[in-house]
Amino acid sequence: MEKHEINANKEALNKRSKKKPSTKNNIIKTVPEYCKGCGLCVDICPTGTLLLGDAIENKFGVSIVVDAPDYCIGCKMCEMRCPDFAIFVNYEKEKV
Amino acid sequence: MRDYEKYIRYRTFPSPWCPGCGIGVTLKAIATAFAELDLDPDDIVAVSGIGCSGRMPTFFNTNTLHTTHGRALTFATGIKLARPDKNVIVISGDGDSSAIGGNHLIHAARRNIGIKMILINNGIYGMTGGQVSPLTPQKFVTETTPFGNIEPKFNIADLLMGAGATFVARETVNRMKPLKDVIKKSFLHKGFSVVEVISNCHVNLGRRNKMKDPISMTKWIAGRTVTKTQYDKMTPEEQDHKYPVGLIHENTSRLEYSELYYKHIVPAAQEAAKKGPGGAAFAAQKNTITYRGSK
Amino acid sequence: MEDTKKKNRKVLQGNIIVAEAAIAAGCDFFAGYPITPSSEVAQHMSKELPKRGYDFIQMEDEIASLGACIGASLAGKKVLTATSGPGFSLMQEHLGMGVMAEIPLVIVNVMRGGPSTGLPTKPAQADIMQARWGTHGDHPIIVLYPAFSNELFCETIRAFNLAEKFWTPVIILLDEVTAKAHEDIELPDTKDLEIYNGKTKEIKDLNIYDRNIGENPPRVDFFQGYPIHIDGLEHDAHGWPSSDPENADKMQKLRMQKIYHFLDEIIKFNEYYMEDAEIMVFSFGVSARAALPAVEEARELGIKAGLFQALTIWPFPKRELRERFKKIKKVLVVELNMGQIKYEMERVASDDVEKKSLLRANGIPFTPKEILEKIKEF
Repeated sequence: MEKHEINANKEALNKRSKKKPSTKNNIIKTVPEYCKGCGLCVDICPTGTLLLGDAIENKFGVSIVVDAPDYCIGCKMCEMRCPDFAIFVNYEKEKV
Repeated sequence: MRDYEKYIRYRTFPSPWCPGCGIGVTLKAIATAFAELDLDPDDIVAVSGIGCSGRMPTFFNTNTLHTTHGRALTFATGIKLARPDKNVIVISGDGDSSAIGGNHLIHAARRNIGIKMILINNGIYGMTGGQVSPLTPQKFVTETTPFGNIEPKFNIADLLMGAGATFVARETVNRMKPLKDVIKKSFLHKGFSVVEVISNCHVNLGRRNKMKDPISMTKWIAGRTVTKTQYDKMTPEEQDHKYPVGLIHENTSRLEYSELYYKHIVPAAQEAAKKGPGGAAFAAQKNTITYRGSK
Repeated sequence: MEDTKKKNRKVLQGNIIVAEAAIAAGCDFFAGYPITPSSEVAQHMSKELPKRGYDFIQMEDEIASLGACIGASLAGKKVLTATSGPGFSLMQEHLGMGVMAEIPLVIVNVMRGGPSTGLPTKPAQADIMQARWGTHGDHPIIVLYPAFSNELFCETIRAFNLAEKFWTPVIILLDEVTAKAHEDIELPDTKDLEIYNGKTKEIKDLNIYDRNIGENPPRVDFFQGYPIHIDGLEHDAHGWPSSDPENADKMQKLRMQKIYHFLDEIIKFNEYYMEDAEIMVFSFGVSARAALPAVEEARELGIKAGLFQALTIWPFPKRELRERFKKIKKVLVVELNMGQIKYEMERVASDDVEKKSLLRANGIPFTPKEILEKIKEF
């Protein structure tokens, strides 16, 4: 991975270290075929739930990994910021 | 209702934009605004010009039209006058709207025609490989300003207000919820509305100015984002480097162009026809519609 | 006298005749920009269209005017714009989009002396090649060229019908003289006119550009309940952008064949004294109006001359001319420019046909006498 991607992961882990796992059971759905590994969701996630991981099948070589799903507080910032419709939080439940 | 996927043509994914490009964020904000207003997809037409932003309509599951560089507003004007009952959205980039399209931008504002414009300002011509645009910050290096951009950039909001626009707002791709909300508000506005979206082009603008990844460039944008009150206290030099966000100008008293046309011109023409040859002058005197928003 | 009252005879300016014909053809949207010598079309539309609840708008330039027309056409309207040389030059990019997205629209180009600002109040027939090749890239185009006042009316009707039938931009070339002159015309009753409406309302699927050679795309306009995509980019059967070579080749041919499959229906011309003619005078517009009396005078002098007056300039009436050149071995092209159709004639007429041309570009139309002198030179 590139320097800025490694940094994003470091910052995410740093954020996660200051948080406790969330009690709410939030469901995160990713769409690997659409994810381009830009890291914007990792950067914006307040609790470090998401990390970037190497992904050979992805054309960009990097893809999103839901590393600590129990830390997700369901704020959906990642979903709103994803330019490629590659991540959804509690979407099925709330898509009334 | 968060079913914004109803407004998306998934068959055309993945999108062509670079990883982390702000245009995708804007696409989602617009689709969410459609969903929250529960618009019928057939009542929407999304029109765009040429450029990275120009490729957006392909991904909306509505009527969509990809036109020529800088001219989206002219096509949209024709559509809005022909079908004033429809939601006419124009998606345009900074070059597409303020360089080659500048003439149409100020006239659409002057006419106050009911077009909802989303102006994605990433300060560069991205699709053609990173040339300078009228909204590129000064001193920035681009493929056509290898020694730094000497040209001052437009303040699009001031330009539009000067041209008579009745709804001008600015948001950034970092502030997804306020962006979606102001887009939704602009859709409800009767008259010409522009939402300027400060977006990141890290591959073309950022890379040549020490911000080659989406995270560092969106942080740069966040650093330049200020509220209107903070902005107003700054000196002009400081202001040049800042982007005040939020609803900047709104005037709801002016009539929308096509409404004015069908409410005044058509009846006047029909009235004049009854009066015979001198009818036009007669109809003009009977004009009781107030134009400029005076009560 | 009783007879004329019954008929709808009027004295109208050429521009107004074209505007009236457009309305008779069902035109319900006009977007234009003032330019001598075509402004009267816009002025007339600014009263007549709103009177019928239709749309008129004066845009900020000619580019915007044709853009607005294309938008309105896609929103279900029958559209018209009118301009002159300089404006026509500005319209070329959007003309190309009209061809690429296969959009019916009518453009009136009232020609004037060029190039550049040129002779704004003087006639010239020098935009003919621009009408054919003005926009970039390979493309078909239909260009009509009326001369007499009744032709101004019926060729405008035909332009709208061809645009609707073949889903293409159609250009009407007019001379400054015929557009500005007030002439006697008998306006036909609109119920006798054959007005064509080619727009479909239903489609079986979203492959709105999928069809056989020679057919129109089964495309609907916007707001018919189908999320259709219209693009200036080369597109696939679905209308979505595609740069696939095979598709591009297929789509180019589909657009071309849509027109060139129906030349019989599109090409139209008038012939005067051609049955036993030995000399063909080939002309159009104001030059043809002078060529007709010249041919008549030549006949009186025992010269077997005939006039072939083209009403469709593009596609060029190549087959019809070659048919006639089997018998006729002398052709005189009369055009108010420095030679444009002259080269087309050299391409079309075989070597055994003696070719002459009467050319001029000083803003003064030819007189019958000048044409007669040229006929005598054979």
